[in-house]
This record gives sequence, structure tokens and C-alpha cells, in this order.
Amino acid sequence: MGRMNGPASLDLLQGTLDLLVLKTLSWGPAHGYSVARFIQLLTDDVLHVGEGSLYPALHRLEERGWVESEWQRSENNRKAKFYSLTAAGRARLRAESKTWTRFSAAISKVLQAEQQPT
Amino acid sequence: MIGPRRRRLSDIFRRSERAEVDDEIAFHIEMRTRELVDLGYTSVEARRMAEERFGPVPPIETELIDSTRRRRQREERAEVFMDLKQDVMYALRSFIKNPVLTGTAIATLALGVGATLAVFTVVNGVLLRPLPYGDPSRIGMIWITEPVQNGTIADMPLSSGFYADIEERSGQFEAMAAFRFWPYSLSTSGSADSERVAGARVSPALFDVLRVRPVLGQVFTKEQAVAGGPNVAVISHDLWQRRFGGDASVVGRQVQLSGQSFTITGVMPAGFAFPRGAELPAAFQFGLRTDVWTPLVFDDADRRNYGTMNLSAVGRYAPRSSRPAAEAELAAIMKDYLERKKATYRLGYHVVSLADQAGRTVKRGLLILLGAVGCVLLIAGANVASLLVARVTNRQRELAVRAALGAGRGRIARQLVTENLVLAAAGTALGGLVSIWATDVMLALVPGSLPRADDIGIDWRVMSFAALVALAGGVVFGLAAARSVPWQHLALTLHAGERAVGSRSHRYGRRLLVASEVALSTLLLIGAGLLTRSFVALQRVRPGLDARGVLTAGVSLPIAGRFNPSADGPLWAAKLDEIATRLAGAPNVVAAGAVSSLPLSGAIEAGSLRIVGEPEPLPGQLPHGPYNVVAGSYFAAAGIPVLAGRPFDMTDTATGQPSIVVSREFARRYFGSPAGAVGREVRVTFEFTRNPPPRTIVGVVENVKQMALDEEAVSQFYVPESQMTYPGLTFVLRTRGDPLAAVGAVKQAVAAVDPLATLNDIRTMEDVVSQSLARQRFSMTLIGTFAALALFLAIVGLHGVLALLVGQRRREIGVRLALGARPIDVVRMIMGEGARVTAVGAVAGVVGALAVTRVLGALLYGVSTTDALTFVGAPLLVGAVALAATYAPARRAARVDPRAALTAD
Repeated sequence: MGRMNGPASLDLLQGTLDLLVLKTLSWGPAHGYSVARFIQLLTDDVLHVGEGSLYPALHRLEERGWVESEWQRSENNRKAKFYSLTAAGRARLRAESKTWTRFSAAISKVLQAEQQPT
Repeated sequence: MIGPRRRRLSDIFRRSERAEVDDEIAFHIEMRTRELVDLGYTSVEARRMAEERFGPVPPIETELIDSTRRRRQREERAEVFMDLKQDVMYALRSFIKNPVLTGTAIATLALGVGATLAVFTVVNGVLLRPLPYGDPSRIGMIWITEPVQNGTIADMPLSSGFYADIEERSGQFEAMAAFRFWPYSLSTSGSADSERVAGARVSPALFDVLRVRPVLGQVFTKEQAVAGGPNVAVISHDLWQRRFGGDASVVGRQVQLSGQSFTITGVMPAGFAFPRGAELPAAFQFGLRTDVWTPLVFDDADRRNYGTMNLSAVGRYAPRSSRPAAEAELAAIMKDYLERKKATYRLGYHVVSLADQAGRTVKRGLLILLGAVGCVLLIAGANVASLLVARVTNRQRELAVRAALGAGRGRIARQLVTENLVLAAAGTALGGLVSIWATDVMLALVPGSLPRADDIGIDWRVMSFAALVALAGGVVFGLAAARSVPWQHLALTLHAGERAVGSRSHRYGRRLLVASEVALSTLLLIGAGLLTRSFVALQRVRPGLDARGVLTAGVSLPIAGRFNPSADGPLWAAKLDEIATRLAGAPNVVAAGAVSSLPLSGAIEAGSLRIVGEPEPLPGQLPHGPYNVVAGSYFAAAGIPVLAGRPFDMTDTATGQPSIVVSREFARRYFGSPAGAVGREVRVTFEFTRNPPPRTIVGVVENVKQMALDEEAVSQFYVPESQMTYPGLTFVLRTRGDPLAAVGAVKQAVAAVDPLATLNDIRTMEDVVSQSLARQRFSMTLIGTFAALALFLAIVGLHGVLALLVGQRRREIGVRLALGARPIDVVRMIMGEGARVTAVGAVAGVVGALAVTRVLGALLYGVSTTDALTFVGAPLLVGAVALAATYAPARRAARVDPRAALTAD
């Protein structure tokens, strides 16, 4: 469970982390800890989010108006700051997902190429 | 409906940014620890692992605190803006809901602000706005001064000799120019009709002194301005547009000026019209705006001529010089000259800054007007404040609801200020429209006699002034309204369900406000009364002539070249005499004559003389006064009685015995009586020729007011045109019936004698007399209007306060009536309240007036600044009007139904 010790762990690009956070929040409001857990579970621990670096990302997204926050009672009745996606955030997520898909498709295509292009 | 500001959870848990961030981080670590514990780790182990997984806290913490702070600030800004928008929307809605109150407040403000802005526009145009010349504060007008009999110093023009001296010797001026009025008749090859244009002969340096360059072509040069130089002219932008359609090829074109061909060398920029008549003493007869400039040329004879004083001069101070230094240097040059000449007379120089020259005659009057209109604005403001305070009283329940819902004091006060800013802005905007109209009306009252009035307009100074008024009004009204909110009792208001009345101090404050309004309007009314009494006194003054049935018309014979009376004089005299003879024979004309400076038209020429056979008087003690050249039967035509001797007649020819007619005052002062003066001899100093032979006094006429109806009787002299020739005179016709019916005859006669002669200022003598009172009428009309407006507003205010009082005291009045008070007692009680307020105000107004009417001193004639009639009459009038205004609310009070009043909530 140690941080950045697995051979497959990747340092996340900042934009990529933003995209993951937006996606996570698209299912509904969540506090920072559950965002971290969702990402951890969904990526099968391949992408170890440096948990601390998640929060600056959340705040950055909030400053840009893509997410908004509110202090609420958490599931175990603790005060927690819940983040949720704004309309602008939803639009951003759609745009970013498209870009990412095209980007990764292009990279895969290159990596799967079997011969040097002429 | 406005609620208290929408509250967010973040508001309730408003903690420091650090606390919020620390909570968020702690929550994360705690959750992770709990999960690890669930997986079987000990709590100490789990905590360590959770912290390790989170990473180093301090850098993240700092970053989060910063971003939280930034976000909060942005939210606050957005919130303020939202609140403002909400407040404005709410204000607009509440104004629409109260159209009468809003309408009254806006109309009151519009009246006050409109009048104030109009006066400010004029004050700005005349006094504040810089003259349209380069670095105008460094320009001074140069005048000659002379100690005269009663010790006063008169500003006189320079002679060419004096001017040539100072131009050559002065080092305190970097440039200096002389100029004089020169009317031209202008005709162009393209068009047959000639028109009279206001021209000026000027030194080429004038354009350097003023630092104004032509927009087209060149100004003429020093080399061109020499005897025998070319005929060149510079024209105004206005004339270029009017006469030449703005054609750029006008430079180099030939035009006919008074019969001679001139080449146009340049066109001056729009708005340049120096010298402008209203900015200089009226006696110089400059046109309202100068349209043509031609070179002023001196020959050797001019440079030696110290006697003919007909030049104005203007100079730009040298870089390290100043007005006093320049004046001192000129005085030294004059002293030197007088010593060299061993002169028995004394002369000096006076340098006055161009801005003062333009505004000094009207400065005091304008500032008084500004003060008067300021009083009106204050009264309007007091009325609106009073209305708004009353409105707050009616809104206490609403304010209480808002306070209960969590709106703080600051928030409610802000709402009130915003509302009033909106109101003040609306009133000011409407006032701006009113002022545009009012400015025109004001300027129409003083045609041509207010300096710089021809291009007065609204500029950034006026706009800023208006904005300032609106802002000040809004803030003051808002704070007044906020102060009148009984904050401690707001909650009570809500609980008790009763409409709270203003506290005792608030009611007292409102009365004080109205008393001040009454005081200010009493003050203005006294001022207006004094000016009116003075105006009436002026109109009763006998000008020494009979203006009824008299037509006047200026006639200028063409002079294109040098002003040379000794060569051209006989021809001028013959032509003017011929015109007079023709006019005398015209139908319905009783008598026709002409004069060089028409009385009360602003024109004047003054000079001195010595009485033959009397001992040489002390320097500066020579008999001095206005003189006139007259032709035809001037005295008969103007209706000036001949008291002794005879008027001029056919025997006063160019070659005959030199003669002179003097005024009764001159005869009284030096010979005791009119009869005693006839036959005596005098030597005048104002003739064109040097060392002229003595003149015999052939007649004595009544004193005539030359410059103004309020002037003292002075020595006056008249010489016949045949013996002192002028190329232009103002004709005076005594007619039967309508004087204007003779206009056709004047035009015919002038055209028949010389088609190039020009006519100007054709008007009746009654108009001339009336126009000489234009400034007095201006002050009187405006102050009178302001006083009426002030009184009206004060009465509205008084009525409002009493109406409110009656409303608030319904219950008390009901009790009184129920206990047997008669309605008349109630009427007396309410009217007594009004009378007390009015009396306090009127007394304060009278005391104030005693303190300030001194400033009117110089504007008054025949009435003291503490005139008893005015000081008693004005407060009595205020009292009567106020009493009438209190009657309506008093009647309403008397009709209160005791049962209804006592059972109402």
C-alpha cells in the first residue's frame, strides 16, 4: 500500500487527475476521501493518487467553477466538505473525455503499429 | 419582496480559512485511519500509514488556504454586486409603487438641480473655463490710467506713441500686440451684396501673444505690416463657413473690404474671435466676435502721436516675469516719458490678466446668483430629505421584518442609501434636461452683454458638478433616512403591530428643516425685493433725453486705408450731413441728427479740457468727461433740452469759429450756472490736431446718462462733426408714430449717399435704454425667480410637515375633540404649530439677510442694503403665504371624527 513503490504506478499528469476527479464527481456529490477511494478502486490501484495532491486539484476545479463545495454531515455523521459537479464542470468533463479518448486512441495506434510508416 | 440576504451554510460555519482547510485534511486522515483499522491494523499503525499516504501536510495546507481565501473574496465581491443589483431593483419597484411621493421628490430635485446646473453652466462658461488661447494665464491686457478729479483711476486705451514706446522698451513681455476695432463692409466677386463685418486692425504679434495658429494658410507677418505693405487679411472660421462655404481655396483669394482689394492669407480656428466685444470695456465698440483681421500699421507720424488714444494692447509675460513686474516696468517707462516731456498731467499703466478682464464686470453678480440658486437647491434637498424621512416612518414595519429576518443595520442602511442614490440620480438627470432649457432662457436675458456667453455649453466641469450633486444628494438623503430609523424599536414595531411614530427628536429635526427652508426663502425674497426696488428706481431715472418715438441707427462710412481725418474728414462730414438732411425731410421725421457715442449704448469717449483764463489746475485735476461729436439736429432729435445759448447750427462750419456745447453739470461746477458758461472759451485735449485753437461755449444742454442710468451727473462736451470729423456716427431720428416705420427711409438715405456705407444696430431709443438695464434685469429676474421657487418649495415642505403631524396626532386630536374642544381650537393648534415654525424661519431669514445683503451693495441703486420696506415686507409675505398653506391640514385636523380616531388600531 506504500505510495509510489509499485512498478506499475504512474505519476499522474495534472490534467489527467482533473479529468478523473470530474468523472468521479459525475455520479454525485462526494467528499475528498471518497473521491480518492473511487479513483483507487476504479484504477485497481494502478494509478496511486498521491492523496494529498488530490485536494489542490479539487480546489483548483472549484476556483474554475467546475465544482462547488458545501460542508455537510458525512455518512458517519462527521462534518465533511462535499464537492459536486456544476453545469460547467459537466460540460468540461464531456469535452475532456472526448479529447482524452482521441489522444489515447492515437497513442495506442502508434504503439500497436507493426511497421514503420513509409 | 426582498428578504434578508440568502444565507449559505458557509455563512453559518464561517471559520478562518486555516480551520476549514485543517478540518478537511483531518477528515481525510481520520477516514483512512478508520479503514485501515477495519483491515486489522492497530490504531497507532493505521494513523501513521494514513499520514504517510497523504504526504507532507504543510505545503498542501498552504496551497489550500490560499485557494480558499481567493474563493471567499470572489464570492464576497459577487455578493456585494448581487446585493447592489437587488437594492436597485427593489428601489425601482418601491418607487413605482409610490408614484406620488417619487414624482414629487424627483420633480423637486429636478427643479433645484436644473436651476443650479443652469447657473453653474453660465458661471463655468464665463468664469471657470480657461480662455481658448495658449497658456492664457500668462496674458495681460495693458491700459493707461489717469488720476481724475474724484481720484478714481480709469482704464483708457493707448495712443500709438505710448504703444510704440512700451513695445520697444519693455523686457517683461515676450510678445505684445496692439489692436483696434475696425468695421469693414465686405463684398466678394461672387456676390453683389456687401455686409458689415466686425474687423480689427492688429499687430501681427497678436497671434503669438495668444498662441493661436490658423487652420488654413498663414497669418500676416511683421514684414507685411508696414506702411505701404500689401493689403492682407485673415478671416475667422465662422466667416469662412458663412461666406465662403468652407472652401479651402479661399486662401489667396481677393475680397473687397470697404472698397479696397485684400488678399486672404489665412483662416483662424473655429471659436477664435479675439477681440470679443463683451470681454472688453463696451466703449471700444468691438463686435461680439471679430471676423476679419488686418495689419495695424504705424508710420513715423503715428509713433509720435501720443494724443489719440484709440488702441487696446495685450501682452504675454516673459518666462520669468509676472503681471506685477510687467506693470512696474511699464510704470517706469511712463514716468520716464512724463519727465522728459515735463508733462503737467499724470498717467500710469495698469496690467490686468486676460481672464479677469473678461469676467471682472460680472463676477460678483454671477457668484451672487450661484449663492442664490444654491439656497434653492438646499431647500429642494431639505424637502426631499423630509419626504424620505416621512417615508421611512411609514416603512417601519417592512424594515422590522427585514431586520427580524437577519438583515443587519449596515445592510438596511446600505439599502436606504442605494434607494436614495437612485432617486437623486433620476432627479439630477431630469434636472440636467431642465438646465439645458433654463440656460438658454437665462442667456436670452442678457443678449451680447455677458462676456463669453456666445459659446457657453455643457462641458466636463458641468457634468462632474452634476454627478457630485447627485452623489452628495443620494448619500445625504440616505443617511438622513437611515438615521431616522428607530433601530432599538424596530422589533417592538413588529410585535406591537403598531405603526411607530418618529421619535421626538426626529419630529423636532423635521421642523428645524422646514424652519431653515423658510429662512432661506425669506433671505432670497429680501434679496429679490432689494433688486426689484433698485430696478424700479433705475427705471424712474430721467436719462436727460426723451427716448419716446426715437429711432437710432449706426452708420459707418467705408475707410479702407489709413484713418486720416485731416485728408478725408471734409468728405465724411459732407456725407453724414447729407444723410442727416435727407432724413430730416423724410415723412414722419420731426428731427434728425447723429452722435458718435449713443447714450446708454455702451459707447463712450472721454477727454479733458482747460478753461481759458483760469489758472493752470494741478495735474490730474483738469475738467474731464465724456465727449461726443454730433451732426444735424442731434439735441432736438434726442430730446435733450438746451438750457442756455444755442444748439449747433449751420454757422458751425469747418472754417468758422470753433464751438462747443457743454453739460449743465460742467456749467454748474465751473461757472455756477448755464448762462454763466455761454461765451467762455476752452481748449480741448481730445482733438486730432495738435494745439487746436480754443473753442467757444455756444450752448449748455441737460446732463445725459452716457454709460448707465445709475451714473452721477458729469461734465460732458459736444463738438460739431464739421469741426471734428468722424467716419461713422449713430443717427437719431425723432419721429411721429412708430419709430421703426422710418427704417426704410434710413436705408434709402444711406444707400443714396454712399452705397458702401454700412448700417448696424437699427433699434428704437427705448430699446437702447431698456438694454442698458439688461444686467440689472437679469439679476432681478433670476433672483426673483429663485426666491419664488424657494418660497414655493418651503411652503410645500411646511404643508408636508403639518399634514404628517396631523396624521400622527389623530388620536390626540380625537381625544381633545371628545373632551369638548371645538374644531376652531384644533385649527388654532395646528396653525399655531405652522406659525411657530414659520416665525422662527422668517426671523432667522431676516437676520441672515442683514448679514449677507451687503454683497448686493454694488448692484443696488437708490435703495439701501437694509431697506426697511423690503426687510419688513418679505417676512410678512412669507408669513401670509405660510399661514394660507397651514390652513388645509388644520381644517383636516378639525374634521377628525373622534370615534374613528379613538377606535382605530
